[in-house]
Amino acid sequence: MGIFETLKKYKWMLPLIGKADRETKSILLKNFRQKKKNFYPEGEYKADIDNLIKCMLCPNMCRFDCGTLQASNTESMSPAYKARIGYYLSIGKIDPTQPENKQFIDLMYKCTNEENCKVWCPFEFSVVSLLETVRDDLNDKGLMPDYCKGQIEKLNKTKTIEDYNIFETFKEKGIENIKTDGNDEVFYFIGCEMMKFPNVVNANIALLKKAGIKFSTNLEKRVCCGAPSLTIRDMETSKNFAQENHELINNTGAKVLVSDCPGCVLTLSERYKNVGVKIDTKVIHIVDFFKTLIEEGKLKPKGELPKDLKKVAIHDPCLMTRNLKDITSIRTVLKVIPNLEIIEPIYNKEYTHCCGWSGTVHWADQDLAIKEASNRIDELKETGVNLFITACPLCELGLAYGLLDNEKEKYKILDISELLLKVI
Amino acid sequence: MNLENFEIIYKENRIEIKNKQKMKEKLIEIVGDGNVSIDKIDLLAYSRDSTLITLNWTIQGKIAGLPDFVVWPENKAQISEILRLANNEKIPVIPYGEGSGVVGGAIPIYGGIIVDMKKFNKILEINDKDLTATVETGINGMNLERYLNAKGYTSGHIPQSLYISSLGGWIAHRAAGQFSTKYGKIEDMVLGMEVVLPQGNIIDFKPIIRASTGPQLNKLFIGAEGTLGIVTKATLKIWPFPEKRALISYAFPIIEDSFNATREIMREHIFPAVIRIYDQFETERHFVDIEQAKDKVMVVFVCEGNKKLVELEETITKEKCENNKGINCGEHPVEHWFETRFRVTETSTMPPYKIVFDTLEIASSWDNAAKIYHSVIDSVNSLKGILIISAHVSHFYPNGVGIYFTLGGVPPKGKTEFEFYQKCWDTTIRGVLDAGGSIAHHHGIGINRSHWMEEEWGKSMDIMRNIKRLLDPNNILNPGKVYTHIWKGSES
Ligand SMILES: Cc1cc2nc3c(=O)[nH]c(=O)nc-3n(C[C@H](O)[C@H](O)[C@H](O)COP(=O)(O)OP(=O)(O)OC[C@H]3O[C@@H](n4cnc5c(N)ncnc54)[C@H](O)[C@@H]3O)c2cc1C
Repeated sequence: MGIFETLKKYKWMLPLIGKADRETKSILLKNFRQKKKNFYPEGEYKADIDNLIKCMLCPNMCRFDCGTLQASNTESMSPAYKARIGYYLSIGKIDPTQPENKQFIDLMYKCTNEENCKVWCPFEFSVVSLLETVRDDLNDKGLMPDYCKGQIEKLNKTKTIEDYNIFETFKEKGIENIKTDGNDEVFYFIGCEMMKFPNVVNANIALLKKAGIKFSTNLEKRVCCGAPSLTIRDMETSKNFAQENHELINNTGAKVLVSDCPGCVLTLSERYKNVGVKIDTKVIHIVDFFKTLIEEGKLKPKGELPKDLKKVAIHDPCLMTRNLKDITSIRTVLKVIPNLEIIEPIYNKEYTHCCGWSGTVHWADQDLAIKEASNRIDELKETGVNLFITACPLCELGLAYGLLDNEKEKYKILDISELLLKVI
Repeated sequence: MNLENFEIIYKENRIEIKNKQKMKEKLIEIVGDGNVSIDKIDLLAYSRDSTLITLNWTIQGKIAGLPDFVVWPENKAQISEILRLANNEKIPVIPYGEGSGVVGGAIPIYGGIIVDMKKFNKILEINDKDLTATVETGINGMNLERYLNAKGYTSGHIPQSLYISSLGGWIAHRAAGQFSTKYGKIEDMVLGMEVVLPQGNIIDFKPIIRASTGPQLNKLFIGAEGTLGIVTKATLKIWPFPEKRALISYAFPIIEDSFNATREIMREHIFPAVIRIYDQFETERHFVDIEQAKDKVMVVFVCEGNKKLVELEETITKEKCENNKGINCGEHPVEHWFETRFRVTETSTMPPYKIVFDTLEIASSWDNAAKIYHSVIDSVNSLKGILIISAHVSHFYPNGVGIYFTLGGVPPKGKTEFEFYQKCWDTTIRGVLDAGGSIAHHHGIGINRSHWMEEEWGKSMDIMRNIKRLLDPNNILNPGKVYTHIWKGSES
């Protein structure tokens, strides 16, 4: 709520205050003046105390849609409680430096960043946006949890989110590397995690080629987008990635950057602003690009899909629908595939539920992330369909964790490009 | 970390558990390792519900009550075992739904074991022919309603706390939704229930449409507030999702005119799903943009269901409003209500200014409604420190209404926030009783109203206490609520 709306909303109170007796007015005035003294931390801090207070005092209006709460079934995971602990850590009511309080620090990281809380929030913020400000103060105090430090170390050492530079594995995975000549139409920015799915990368490359696009992948120079460090709030590391990618992107001369990972798209197009870097190239999700190519007639789906691929349920990646606000690309592309039956799960589009593999929770509490994944798998299974289509490598990873070993034969998770390629 | 850093408000009479570790092991034997906690992070999470004074305490780093254990049972047999163990060890057990209760019902005032019902979250069956849904009671209201909507139904139970409350909590507090005038309250919707009694016996009240089978014992558990049993499953009525909705609003010169119009609508046996009367203060607060409603009493109506019936209801509703000096304000105020009805911001904005804020709902016959309204407004207004007292009326019957008061203020010098809060509550309830009303319409008794129960029920309170003793001789199930005087009250 903006300041104007807030003033308007509480305007009705003014005559009531006007009518109050002098003592009441003076008490109220004192309370207004002393709000910060009474309830805010002393000294320097980055925590967004105003909104942490609002969130912790809210009756948890988003609780029913919080993935970690629904996966854990405990009040301790509720959004307002996370804000409450964030507040207590910030004002020192819970001392973050005491080793026995580690649980409370860990709670600040048990979030998937899926942001469906924001959809229902009366104040229109997301809980993770508040937790990140608490993480900032923890980092400044040298209290970053080990599982986050481990990620930062990997990022700095291998330039990717793996123990090794995953981009260097392209040859063994049979992925073609296309180097830039500095004059590309498109830069295909492959997500680190998508390197685990060479079939998807190869499908994307094949589709771009079939559409006659001049593009590069530059795998020999590639680094992570830096999203993990932004989420952990190591701004120094994040800035290094932003600058390195900025230079690489500029060197391709591309007018458009397409990525197969909604996390990369969000990071490059929105989150780099937090470290003072602006990418001038247009950044979009590759499905959005395929949608345009189809509309322009550069990709023409024809023929039939194999029988076992003719009926799909859509799993919308939360980063795509809520953060990038794109609910149409996946559907437009699927709709042009001949004779494909598309089934929507109950929670879809901007109301989709997370696969569990986003944000920091899968580092802080992997079992919880897996439970969230299996909740989402249950919702997808309820469609009665055995083939789940998505457009995000994290979703492919997360959903796979949600399947039991004996279900892996029956249920399949595919990226949309793998399906599209079969009819191009 | 020590929670000693946090002042506990309800600390008198906390039970002493000698060997907590041993007790934890016994609980683990029942529910498994991952389903028991004595971790501070969990105990703190269950230290309050949504009773509004607890928000003032929360920002001040105080806690309402602290449990000793939190358990998350997964089936009724486990609940039964937990209760048997608690009886053996004489340890309180507090059922916990979603913690949205506003009278302290789920606060562990003596410590003990919180039994969180969240793992009872499955929709077991939808029967289209019978129009029923059988559901576990820990399910969140919105998740139930969203599921029903996706399948083409509604439960018709849409409290403002839909997003934050559970079926078990609704049954425990005899809850009422915003659409209650058409669909009824929770007691009209529950056809069958499964209950684990305080000593561990499990009873199954089969779903019945109506029966002439002696006293209806099943009804005893609707409104028992977790003191007579833990409800694990219920069969509810459901409805096909409405075909048509009509949105109607009228502004009236004074509240009496709005009472007359709505009473006449009820007399015709017309049941709009939603009727909400806002007094002048609340009209100013919620409908500031509606010119025709300036200094007036706004009433919004939603009629829904079969198209032809809705058209008829709409015609009669409008006729009655116009006959009682109503000015037609069109659909916009109702659309505005739909947009904002779940936007709860006051709970977050008042406590940082140490403003004590709350809402209290009561029931009245038509005959007493205006009297109660005015007497509560006048008596609360006369309290030192009061800033706001206003009301809306949101539940309608041919014979009366549920009135919902909103009050707020700052404690005068020398009074704590809690004392001022209690004074506001007691003044409201005194006003209601003196004017012939009933002390609670749908939020329940919990801690806040228990000291008024004698006056509300008279001698039958003894019978109620006897029933409690009969079913729960060791008083282990949610002690301190409904039947006792924990609050003492600012009057008594
Ligand atoms: C913003 C807001 C709006 C509200 N709007 C409404 C409204 O429109 N209508 C309305 O009626 N109420 C409303 N309430 C009050 C509250 O939501 C209801 O009282 C609700 O029924 C409580 O449900 P819960 O699951 O949160 O219960 P909790 O708060 O967890 O518990 C409430 C009581 O129920 C008992 N209990 C919980 N589960 C069980 C079970 N399975 N078996 C036995 N006992 C159990 C607990 O021991 C406790 O005594 C509102 C509250 C808030 C904060």
